[in-house]
Amino acid sequence: MRTRLLAVVMVAALAVAGCTSDEEPSTAAVSGPLCGELPKGDEPGNPTALASESVDQALQWITVLTTFEGALRASELVPELEGKKAITVLAPSDDAFMAKFSQDNLDELMIKDKDALRTLLRAHIVDRSLSLADLRDADSVTTLDGTTVKVSEADKMARIGDEATTVCADYRIANGRVHVINHVLGNFPTTAGQGDSGH
Amino acid sequence: MNHRRSTVIAISALLAATFAPVVTSTSAFAAPLPAFAAAEPNQVTDLTVSQADGFATVAWTPVPGAADYQIERTAVDAANAPTGTPTVVGVWRPNRQINNETPTFADAGFNPGTRFQWRVRARIGTAEQPYSSPVFDTTKAPWGDPAVAGQNLRTQWETTQAAQYTSDANEYAYTAAVDQLSERVRVVEIGRTVQNRPINMLVIGYPTPPATPAAVAATSPLAVNCNVHGNEPGDREACLIMARQLAFSNDARTLGLLKNTTVLIVPTINGDGRAANTRGNTTGQDLNRDYSLIRQPETAAYVRMLRDYRPVAGYDGHEYGNNQAGDLPMLPPRHQNVAQQIFDESLDMIENHMYVEGAKDGWWACPYGCANGSGVGLSEETILRNTLGLKNTVNSLLELRSSGGATRPDEGNTANNRRRKTFSALWTFNQFMDYHHNQLSDIKKARGEAIEFQAGNNGRIVFRGSRVVPLHPAPHPGEAGPREDLPTPDMILDNAPCAYKLTEAQYNGARTDGPNDVGATVAERIAAHGWKVVKVADGYVVPLAQPERGLIPLLLDEQGEEEWVSGERVYPTLTGRHNGPLTISGFACLSGATVNGPVNLRPGATLVATNTTISGPVNAANAAGVFFGDSSVRGPLQVANTNGPVTVIGTNVSGPVNLVNNTNGAAPYFAGNSVSGPLNCAGNSTAPTNLEVRNVVNGPRAGQCSTL
Ligand SMILES: [Zn+2]
Repeated sequence: MRTRLLAVVMVAALAVAGCTSDEEPSTAAVSGPLCGELPKGDEPGNPTALASESVDQALQWITVLTTFEGALRASELVPELEGKKAITVLAPSDDAFMAKFSQDNLDELMIKDKDALRTLLRAHIVDRSLSLADLRDADSVTTLDGTTVKVSEADKMARIGDEATTVCADYRIANGRVHVINHVLGNFPTTAGQGDSGH
Repeated sequence: MNHRRSTVIAISALLAATFAPVVTSTSAFAAPLPAFAAAEPNQVTDLTVSQADGFATVAWTPVPGAADYQIERTAVDAANAPTGTPTVVGVWRPNRQINNETPTFADAGFNPGTRFQWRVRARIGTAEQPYSSPVFDTTKAPWGDPAVAGQNLRTQWETTQAAQYTSDANEYAYTAAVDQLSERVRVVEIGRTVQNRPINMLVIGYPTPPATPAAVAATSPLAVNCNVHGNEPGDREACLIMARQLAFSNDARTLGLLKNTTVLIVPTINGDGRAANTRGNTTGQDLNRDYSLIRQPETAAYVRMLRDYRPVAGYDGHEYGNNQAGDLPMLPPRHQNVAQQIFDESLDMIENHMYVEGAKDGWWACPYGCANGSGVGLSEETILRNTLGLKNTVNSLLELRSSGGATRPDEGNTANNRRRKTFSALWTFNQFMDYHHNQLSDIKKARGEAIEFQAGNNGRIVFRGSRVVPLHPAPHPGEAGPREDLPTPDMILDNAPCAYKLTEAQYNGARTDGPNDVGATVAERIAAHGWKVVKVADGYVVPLAQPERGLIPLLLDEQGEEEWVSGERVYPTLTGRHNGPLTISGFACLSGATVNGPVNLRPGATLVATNTTISGPVNAANAAGVFFGDSSVRGPLQVANTNGPVTVIGTNVSGPVNLVNNTNGAAPYFAGNSVSGPLNCAGNSTAPTNLEVRNVVNGPRAGQCSTL
């Protein structure tokens, strides 16, 4: 049966990513106020364990990125991103998505309006690898949607655009960096609080 | 059940020992340290901490004048030396529980098995008072002995320490392993999603689950629907852990529960949405707006399951991002067409069980809805909570508050937030099983009366509109209950019809309201709900004299808010007195009628009788359909060779009853009746069922009705 075969494969893959192994000598340091609440030390999904993972695999371990991770899968942009030499992912947290989009709007983007979804996601990706220090030093970055976004220092973090700040920065992945940010970027209207999102 | 599966499953990948460190509880440390000094003024005393699955109940003696209390937790090592920063993990305030004399707080949101110190301090006004003496204890490790087969299974969520939710593939592997290793568990596929994912249900009983859906129904099962909104996965993880506990625990409580009933767990009704992390299914349909309409294969599968397994009680799991709510918002079925008994019993379950037990264990169960007239928790019959109520099932919505709140920190979607939600769901579902166990006679009584009420076609029809949920007496556990949501005049039909008649096109016509613009026919959906339909010369008649009377008009009447079709309202043909014999040909509907004389049905005739008294024998031979609800027959009742549905509910028969050779495919209903005389059933193509509503029979029960 197809599903059962899949089960074995998936569980095996999980074990690889889940074990913080001896093969990973260096410790990847992340920084930001949210990092303490995310997998750390030798916990499954700790930053060191993610350093050699592809972008889609790494995102599955950063617990506050479930919306972004699902959206990235739905967008079918993963092969394009994995094919790039270097990327920086400015990934809004689940809370940031919840503050930006209604449930219906999110489903609409993820299921029916994938062109808009790709535009949204491209507004969160830069095609070179930028560390937190790089972001703090830069004046602006250009995201894959062609937008130029101001960046600056904000205490020990980086400000992205007018509203977003990194909250756990400097995750290393196989071809770049992931920074968790606290606001959704891009020019989409805010729809949070609209519509029927009760039980 | 292990004889059913031979497929090799990668069980080793699911074992606790693979990942989880073994933490042994050192209960010697559990007692509070002796207090060497007398308590300071306003210091909290008598602090106790007791461990349960995934949470710790912190309790203390109240300080006079305290406005609230802060609960502090610090990670410690085996020698009780701090290894982490002291953190205030919760605030207790009076509206958290209905009993303020014994404050309790369920501390959750930690990796089970780790060791902590707890302290509690009062605040008078905003002034912090001295902390209590500390209590040190090791929290309970994830359930199941890592050295015992079956008990040592773990989900992906557990092995990843809540960093990842259990995937579809891991769920299938885990539930298959539970099935393989436990005689108590059978995993059945109840349907497939739009993307063809199996929708599984765990059927759990002791020593083995009954073999057929009807045999399960006879045990008055309870059902937990764990995950309808794909991006609300917390309840599902609780369901998977609970399945393991039910399958492999040998404690007296678990065995006691399972000896008396069957537990039905559907981990993932919306597998496509879960995999994609969307609220809706893969078409974007919110499935919890589809349980009456069943346009989607997922909801249709659940409704067919309800028809076949007939759970008497249910819970429907969700998450709720609202920082005004308590820990565990709950709500009964409120639609006004839900029988009063079902509403009352559901509210009893919430207020007199969940609130009471929550106050003991420290969970803040509360009314769903929120401050400022929230628009949630209303009367849409498309919502499972209401659909189940309209199917005479005692039930509640369950929300796991995903946001921070006034009494808990804002954790975002972190592992600790996930643990707090999942273990609060596990607590609720276990309490639900206890309620069902303790109150089964009340639940069955409410259900039986509700079925009799509905089959009597009693009262007005409300298309949309809720019963008021009164606020719990102070100190009530929520600031606000759900909005009043009374029906507007256009949503009320005072003069209920007897039945709806559908044309051939309405009944069997192609529909476009399902995935990819293809929908099941109304005939197929009616069959999924399990309603009785009579084929007549010019169409199909759906009488209201049946258990789901509250739901039928919502889907077949043009006045419905979300109906399938505008069926023709068929009104009673006799409402007053008739003296002398009554011979019926064609369709007759007697409502509130009195017949002084015998009633005879001609071949092909249909009789629907509600709130009617017939003084004389009733004889139906070769009829097209026979419906009795809430009526009296003073004389023998003979129904033979009916080529259509037979249902006799809540009816007194002074004389013998004979149901023979009825050949419609579905089982005749004979439920909640009182018969003074023998009851005989034979030769019916499907044995009659009493829907688990016993009949009172003063005489022998024979043949297919010997156990009704
Ligand atoms: Zn929900």
